[in-house]
Amino acid sequence: MKTRRRMPRILAGGVALGLTLTLAACGDDGGSASGENEFTVLVYGDATNKVEKKLVDEFNKTSEVKARLDTIPGADYQQKLQTIISTPQAPDVFFHWGGGSIKPFVDADLLLPLDDFIKKDPGLKDNFLPSVFDASVVDGKAYGVPMRGTQPVMLFHNKKVLADAGVEPPETWDDLLAAVAELKDAGVTPIALGGGDMWPTQMWFQYLYDRIAGPELFQQALDGDKEAWASEDSRRALGMIRELVDAGAFGDTYDSVKFTNNGSPQLVASGKAGFELMGSWYYSTQQSLNEEFAAEDLGYSAFPSVDGGKGDPANLAGNTNNYYSVMKKAEHPEAIAEFLKLMYSDQFVKDQLSIGNLPTTANTPDFLDQAASPEYSKYQYDLVEKAPHFQLSWDQAYPQSAATDMHKAVQQFFNGGIDEDGFISAMQALPTS
Amino acid sequence: MTTQMTRVRPAAPVKERRRTRTANVADVGRPGFLWAAPATLFFAAFAVVPLIMVVVLSFMSWDGIGDPEFAGLDNWRRVLDDPVMIKSIWLSLLLTGLGVAIQTPLSILLGVWAAGNQKNRAVLSAIYFLPLLLSATAVAVVWGALLDPNFGVPAEATWLFGDGNLYGEQASAIGVLAFVSTWQFTPFHTLIYQGAARAIPPVLYQAAEVDGAGRYRQFFHITLPQLRNAMITSMILMVVGGLTTFETVLILTQGGPGTDTTISAYYMYERAFKSFDYGVGAAIALVLVLAATLISLVMVRLSGYDKMRSTTEGL
Repeated sequence: MKTRRRMPRILAGGVALGLTLTLAACGDDGGSASGENEFTVLVYGDATNKVEKKLVDEFNKTSEVKARLDTIPGADYQQKLQTIISTPQAPDVFFHWGGGSIKPFVDADLLLPLDDFIKKDPGLKDNFLPSVFDASVVDGKAYGVPMRGTQPVMLFHNKKVLADAGVEPPETWDDLLAAVAELKDAGVTPIALGGGDMWPTQMWFQYLYDRIAGPELFQQALDGDKEAWASEDSRRALGMIRELVDAGAFGDTYDSVKFTNNGSPQLVASGKAGFELMGSWYYSTQQSLNEEFAAEDLGYSAFPSVDGGKGDPANLAGNTNNYYSVMKKAEHPEAIAEFLKLMYSDQFVKDQLSIGNLPTTANTPDFLDQAASPEYSKYQYDLVEKAPHFQLSWDQAYPQSAATDMHKAVQQFFNGGIDEDGFISAMQALPTS
Repeated sequence: MTTQMTRVRPAAPVKERRRTRTANVADVGRPGFLWAAPATLFFAAFAVVPLIMVVVLSFMSWDGIGDPEFAGLDNWRRVLDDPVMIKSIWLSLLLTGLGVAIQTPLSILLGVWAAGNQKNRAVLSAIYFLPLLLSATAVAVVWGALLDPNFGVPAEATWLFGDGNLYGEQASAIGVLAFVSTWQFTPFHTLIYQGAARAIPPVLYQAAEVDGAGRYRQFFHITLPQLRNAMITSMILMVVGGLTTFETVLILTQGGPGTDTTISAYYMYERAFKSFDYGVGAAIALVLVLAATLISLVMVRLSGYDKMRSTTEGL
């Protein structure tokens, strides 16, 4: 089996743990990982990075202090960030999902409150939609500036596949079940799912729970009332998921397919599957994979409504936005403040729109016509504007330490590894603070 | 007979001198402890010290931010009571056992075959060793793509793979992990056996031929017994490597479906670096260190490897 470089692995692991320990102990006097006249910007690595690269290049043209962009491929971002955040290797500016995901860093006094920046340039706050900006306010202080687009999860589809099977984008859950049957008869996988990544599976739960029970059930559970998971509504949602899976909606191989290696988007683009539930970044994913498909055959609709559900069918789930936060130890706060101003510039809005992202700045509506697909951007903008509630993704809303076990429970419930009671007790066992 | 004479004669005075200090024949011509000093220092700095720190960490509660807090036996209690931990140990042992059972016969056959000296063997062997040059991560990524149920080999060869849901069921997920490890590491063990097979004195085969032994008898009565030390070396490496398998699980299955391929090394990573519970991660790491050390010691003991007997004694 593994041999080369294998024997010292445990020991190497020990060294890594040991080093982090030492570094954490002397983290206070540690300098920055960046060079003399430079600050580092750490971002989640994906197709959107081309906008961030462009902004950094733009900034470096005029600034004496240069920005350096580092990206970490998707799935590993949160681990890497938390591993380095209290070491000298920590970046000066970093990407995150807002509120819950930076709370531990704020508690550990690692982040710079942006109030002084905002006092000097009120635009850093006033140019963003308040509801979005407020998602990275912790304990009454602003810690982040929105830096991408809002990312509601939507039900995407392949127009051609649906047309061939005589299916319309579903408005209700019953429509969806009917569409699943039709698509199955037509010989395609009704819904593509990157179950190997586990978080795409979870998207089905967060939407269905919201439609059936409204946002309150999840909030209750997050606040520590574990009985919420055992409620009647919870069981009803689980029953409906079971029904959908058992109807063959996702085919047989979803746990062997991933979104992160483009497996599931490719299924939809190649016509082997009809639907996929995914965040709004799906457009830029398809745009970079299959430009023609993204432009011509990629359709989208909101998550279907559920008869008798307590949740408003206009509610959304997904990521409110992503944010840049600044470390307290950053050596060039003035330059960073200048850099953050780019996040509401006209150029930023145009660039984000050009890849299908929807920025949440006050000037966004002015540029919707210039989006990659103006129709898509307007549709999204309306969804977000009209949504009475925007549910942050479950795995981001819970503390990071709960994410892995939550993903496992979701995967096991889908593939029949655990039943409703198993899922309920798994969710009840998650740490809520 | 002539070989024996020429070998023993120059060695005799050395043997004599050593015997006054130690009676062990195996020590003949072996250097003193001083030779090991540099390696020992490195080992202390980069293995022993961190190991001690891991022990300390296993009694701490730490999420990677701020200072660790003393947690007493809490982490250990959690690890030892955790059904996933117990399951992960069995899975590690299963995967290791599979590795040894599949790779040992394969690499012995290939190694003995590659020990020949015809030209085509050299070329074929060189090609065959290629997987060893690739990083485990690259290998896992490549096989992950090749085994994609919709766009990979399973989509074409449905007679073999069925629906191709290799990562969705425990048995096939473990099968894939064992296969990928075999694909990558058999060349390394083949290399060990090739070297060992080349070192077998040809005179043995010549004598066997004179006595009328066929190829199979030669293989089972000369080659295999002569490969004993190589076999033990290779198997210890397989066991230690198997217990610490990590990248293939991280990339191909992420411990899934559910916890069905969550082997101990991956579970350690998951607790420490995904759930940010470094104390529990350290405790799992120590369980692994203990298990690997124990198994290696038992193997060395049972096989008589610790006596360092040479297979060429008496030649």
